Amino acid sequence: MDRERALELIYEAIDVVNQQLPATQRLPRDPATVIVGTGGSLDSLGIVNFVLALEEKTADALGRSVQLLMPEWLGADDGPFQTVERLATHLTMLRPA
Amino acid sequence: MRNRLYLIADFNADTFARYLANTAMPDADVKVAPFGQVYQALTGPGPGTDWPALVWTQPETVSDAFRRAAAFEVVDPAQALDEVDAFASAVKRFAQHARSVFVPTWTQPCWERGYGMLEWRPRVGVTHLLARMNLALADALAAEPTIFVLDAARWLAAAGPRAVSLKSWYATKTPFGPAVFETAAADLAAALDGLGGRARRLIILDLDEVLWGGIVGEVGWEGITLGGHDHAGEAFVDFQRALKALTRRGIQLAIASKNDEAVALEVIDRHPEMQLRREDFAAWRINWADKGHNVAALLREVNLGPESAVFIDDSAVERARIMNAIPGVLTPDWPDDPARYRETLAGLRCFDAPHLTIEDRERKGMYTAERVRKETLATAGDLETWLRSLNMTVSVESLTAANLVRATQLLNKTNQLNMTTRRLAQQELQQWVNEPQNLMLTFRVADRFGDSGLTGIVGLTFEQETAKMTDFLLSCRVMGRNVEETMLHAAVTHCRARGVSSLVAELTPTARNAPCLAFLERSGLTRTSAYQFRWDVQLPYGCPPWVNLDDRTGAVSTADR
Repeated sequence: MDRERALELIYEAIDVVNQQLPATQRLPRDPATVIVGTGGSLDSLGIVNFVLALEEKTADALGRSVQLLMPEWLGADDGPFQTVERLATHLTMLRPA
Repeated sequence: MRNRLYLIADFNADTFARYLANTAMPDADVKVAPFGQVYQALTGPGPGTDWPALVWTQPETVSDAFRRAAAFEVVDPAQALDEVDAFASAVKRFAQHARSVFVPTWTQPCWERGYGMLEWRPRVGVTHLLARMNLALADALAAEPTIFVLDAARWLAAAGPRAVSLKSWYATKTPFGPAVFETAAADLAAALDGLGGRARRLIILDLDEVLWGGIVGEVGWEGITLGGHDHAGEAFVDFQRALKALTRRGIQLAIASKNDEAVALEVIDRHPEMQLRREDFAAWRINWADKGHNVAALLREVNLGPESAVFIDDSAVERARIMNAIPGVLTPDWPDDPARYRETLAGLRCFDAPHLTIEDRERKGMYTAERVRKETLATAGDLETWLRSLNMTVSVESLTAANLVRATQLLNKTNQLNMTTRRLAQQELQQWVNEPQNLMLTFRVADRFGDSGLTGIVGLTFEQETAKMTDFLLSCRVMGRNVEETMLHAAVTHCRARGVSSLVAELTPTARNAPCLAFLERSGLTRTSAYQFRWDVQLPYGCPPWVNLDDRTGAVSTADR
């Protein structure tokens, strides 16, 4: 998956989770947006909902199931979910079916 | 008033609450009962009688028989139906302490195949059992005016194969995907709008490329695309049928079109495939004037506010004009392809109303009669001659079970000629009228053009020597025909029969009820403060001589009149 497509999928998942957030807390569609860790505005339910939405969209794009809901990633400040940028890099490493 | 909703669910409803409060009903106050404690929440105190609630459960939570049936055990369907009945009873008891209650139907994931080809076999199929449970639930709650069963199967169908996510269930105890909540939240918001009297009642339509294909001014009525062996022509006919169907729900149609009126009406009168004829339209403005002005004029003619109207036009420019000129009018994006017109219309949630009365079903005829009535006004010369020519009868009835639904509907959606804009749920209105010091009079209006139905309400509270007018409201359909004066006459007559000495009417000003203040100012009542008016009940308040008053309450004698 190329980086542009990865960013598009992440932004689509952000759109899903933004519907659950007050206007003032919505996540910007920006590579620097923090998803998990210091500076992030999602609570634990919001993070899980975001990851589940992204899993579905990524699975559709790759034509295979994808496992992104990994507790060790969600709790780490330096994991792939820290920012949109890092998450996009992680998605580019996933291979299609 | 700020929207509010109390959620009771057997799953984690926090995600749904977030959708409601941040997307479907921005800034709504949404409270969530403790997760999984449905019966405890139904029997607990609840957040208050002015809170609507949603009770969303899974079938296996409510019915152990269903849970076992889904595991392919042999069960007696009667046991499942008994469990449904127990659940319905709990919901009914809870509803006595809530403003209204919404209960989604029970659903199964589409990937749950049960017994396959045996799924609709009675006493075998899980789907068959679930359908019986849903019907039993709907039947058990049917007589409750404040409980509404919502079709959750449609929410799941709209969401597609990922409507139910086991992963979401395992991770967050939320079984449904975001798309289910999106549709459910939109439906709930529409239902709350309907309960709040905010359902739309008028569709204003363009003609060319909306009701038919082509520009009739260029191709003539014989040359337009409508019906025939043509997919676009069939789509236009189908769209017209859908519009006509809405008129049977009390939705009115009007036309705002840039055309020569005679040319456009020729299509409506003569084209054999037209499904909508002149009598289907409450009013029209077919000319070359600005559509903003035409839509405003139509609203004035049918006496409805912008918040009651929907504007449908194929031109993005005209839609933008209306959005800018009259922002209260709902102006949906409209597809280019006529094959999508019908589904786009059906997708509008703005017509949902909590009740469907005889008046709703007959409203098309009422508006047509009103158009003819106004045409006679233009030829009558003076107003009195016209009023006399109407041969109007106003019937007064007490609030009864027979007119309670319509009275509640009128109370909750009338804005302009409404003195206090008091909103009450049907149950609250019934409770209010049960108090011995309270009286509610309802008014039906008929004339030689037709029956306008129950269109007026006067509420009175008797306090020793004084009667306080709690409600004075009249449908915009019959405003300006001296029904207002007739209602005051009846109110004074009933006050005299109850032996009070004065009648006090105090207006609560709103953004919409200036017409009511204007009426009170010219009514002849004595103004005692900015918004308060008084009448000495010993003095007769005259009934307009051209109105035949038929008091069916049995509460007043000839002497009182």
